[in-house]
Amino acid sequence: MSTLLIIAHDEWRYWRRSKLALVTIIISIVMALTSVVLTTISVADENHQRAHLQQQAEQTFVEQPDRHPHRMVHYGHYLFRNSTPLSTIDPGIDSYTGKAIFLEGHRQNSATFSNQQHSSQLTEFGPLSPAFVLQTIAPLLLILIGYSAISRETEAGTLSFLLAQGLSYWQLLLGKVAALFSVNLLVLSPFILGCLLAASHGESSAIIVTFILSYLVYLLVWTLFIVAISALTNSNNSSFAMLICCWLFACLLLPRIAANTTQYLVEQPSKIENDFAVKAKLRELGDGHNSADPAFLQLKANLLAQYQVEKVEDLPVNFRGIVAKNSEAELTKILNTFAKEQMQRELKQSTTNQLFAWLTPALAIRGLSMQLAGTDISSYHKFLREAEQVRYEFVQSLNKAHAEQLNYQTDINRYQDSQALQNARVSANNWQILNNFEFKPFNAEQRLTQSKLALMQLTFWLIILAVFLGLVGRKSQC
Amino acid sequence: MKDSVISANNLSVAYANQLVLNKVNFSVAQGQIFALLGGNGAGKSTTLKTFLGTLKPQSGSANILGKPVHQHINTSRKQIAYLPESVMLYGHLTAIENIQYFLSLADIKQSVQQIEDALTQVSLQPQAWHNKLSQYSKGMRQKTAIALALLRQAPILFLDEPTSGLDPAAIDEFNQLMSQLAQAGSTIFMVTHDVYGACQVANKIGLLHQGELISLFNAEHNQSIDTETVHKAFVRGIRA
Ligand SMILES: Nc1ncnc2c1ncn2[C@@H]1O[C@H](COP(=O)(O)OP(=O)(O)O)[C@@H](O)[C@H]1O
Ligand SMILES: [Mg+2]
Repeated sequence: MSTLLIIAHDEWRYWRRSKLALVTIIISIVMALTSVVLTTISVADENHQRAHLQQQAEQTFVEQPDRHPHRMVHYGHYLFRNSTPLSTIDPGIDSYTGKAIFLEGHRQNSATFSNQQHSSQLTEFGPLSPAFVLQTIAPLLLILIGYSAISRETEAGTLSFLLAQGLSYWQLLLGKVAALFSVNLLVLSPFILGCLLAASHGESSAIIVTFILSYLVYLLVWTLFIVAISALTNSNNSSFAMLICCWLFACLLLPRIAANTTQYLVEQPSKIENDFAVKAKLRELGDGHNSADPAFLQLKANLLAQYQVEKVEDLPVNFRGIVAKNSEAELTKILNTFAKEQMQRELKQSTTNQLFAWLTPALAIRGLSMQLAGTDISSYHKFLREAEQVRYEFVQSLNKAHAEQLNYQTDINRYQDSQALQNARVSANNWQILNNFEFKPFNAEQRLTQSKLALMQLTFWLIILAVFLGLVGRKSQC
Repeated sequence: MKDSVISANNLSVAYANQLVLNKVNFSVAQGQIFALLGGNGAGKSTTLKTFLGTLKPQSGSANILGKPVHQHINTSRKQIAYLPESVMLYGHLTAIENIQYFLSLADIKQSVQQIEDALTQVSLQPQAWHNKLSQYSKGMRQKTAIALALLRQAPILFLDEPTSGLDPAAIDEFNQLMSQLAQAGSTIFMVTHDVYGACQVANKIGLLHQGELISLFNAEHNQSIDTETVHKAFVRGIRA
């Protein structure tokens, strides 16, 4: 054990004296720190703003004067999504899904809004999110620091001299791993602080611990790989070249190939195509604004029979309101079917994409990190579903007021003169229908269950690399 | 052969089926200095590496304290201090730091004073002690490595061409140092092609030619081995 520490300590002394390593270590820490500080500030700022905007939106809605209830249906309402505590570390797809939804009658404004194909653009993740730094930049910096760990000793011949001192090759390998691992801890420390901050904002400790451990394992995978390659190659140059190639492949090329292949495998109708399909389906329903539309004849007949009256005018409820309510219900069914299909396609894309994590640990940690942070596609879907629930309830409350509090005659004659228009209104008391909305991500247990595959993939990589280093250690032993 | 500290027993070594050492036999008792002489490519370094355990014999054995090295690598390495043909120490460390590092890896504790004494013993100038080894000449590195080998306080010393790169005065001092160590009980195995130096210090000289030990010379009664005889045999061997 102490031999490992002696070797690790000497490695640090070497780094301190070699400018490249020292500068790289400093850059790593500065980058980690700034990315955490910057995202923490911007997320806190956004959350603050969002709380304010949400309150404002609710207030404006509630403070509307007496109006025709259907005007309020189109006046609409905004919902803002607050970020999860760990989105300070991994904003995930938040950075391009948008965080506000406009809720109004007859439309689901965001159901077709998100699009998984954006995830192939690396820049979409925000170039300096802590997650990006850890997943993509940190391995590169580790390579710069550690590529010569063993190859330097081979090249200079100190390796055989070390072994002749009675040191075992294993001790040397593990000592170098220990040294590089301590760099991981150093680079991770700002992230750990960020995670603790997230914990203080109510994130569950099970999630925080799994999150930190996952990144630790990810960097350990790279550490084992770097030391193994450095031991396998006979010169610093070939070690460096090989490691950089692997990094390019694992962190840049494969994720892109994965995204493109996924798009090819799981086809996504374009937004226009989708919109046309929705429109065509909706047209079959009839126009809910026009109670004379033949589509509502059956509804009319049923109502007249139910209340045993002859004419629509004699109904105790406003027929126009009933039509609006009914057609909203029918239309929502159709919209929900489309939204559900869209979400299933997006989920399929994301699970297909996750399969590529068997080929690169970078995708394993990327999926895992977003799932744990609650910034992945399924979290976004949860928000969409909850927003739709809010939308449907508020529109139907208004339609109910329309049916029950506004006389049918007054309603249909509202365009006769300005006085008639004045009369066709209901009290502003009816606007008190909004509940406080606050988006909550899936709970810890659900998120841990969702991330099971990615956790397995990361564990798989750890095992593979441990075995790899083991083989390298055995092969090079004399 | 019981009290032999270093012995080769029908030792054959091959690199990828090409025989480099062929049934070599010799033994060195405690307190003796054995010099293995031979031309370039004779198999000297190969012999030495087999004793260090970095090469496995094809047949026969290289023994330390009567035990085959390839079966007892760790115990035999603890008995050995090794000075490689070209000295491989760390360029980013000073002489003292290098020595401290290697000693700590071998789990040997020596005070700075003891390290400085050893550096004085191998006559490395004190001004250089705290300079990084990347600034050292070959001879200075060699001296540092010799100091390290002394400080290891191992009962057995393996030296590969220890005097190459040293100036004549340093060679003389080195040879004296070896004699002192042997008198104090160390057993020394050195590989060299310096016939003169070998005859000066060695109790026993083995002449290696194309992987075969063609002759063995023993010093009799405190007399050194005759340089002329060895030289003739050496040259004849090379010419043959
Ligand atoms: N790693 C190796 N692989 C193959 N052949 C080798 C290797 N090392 C040495 N040899 C060959 O073995 C023979 C003995 O080499 P060596 O023991 O280094 O000689 P020397 O007496 O000069 O120290 C030479 O012919 C050399 O070419
Ligand atoms: Mg040699």
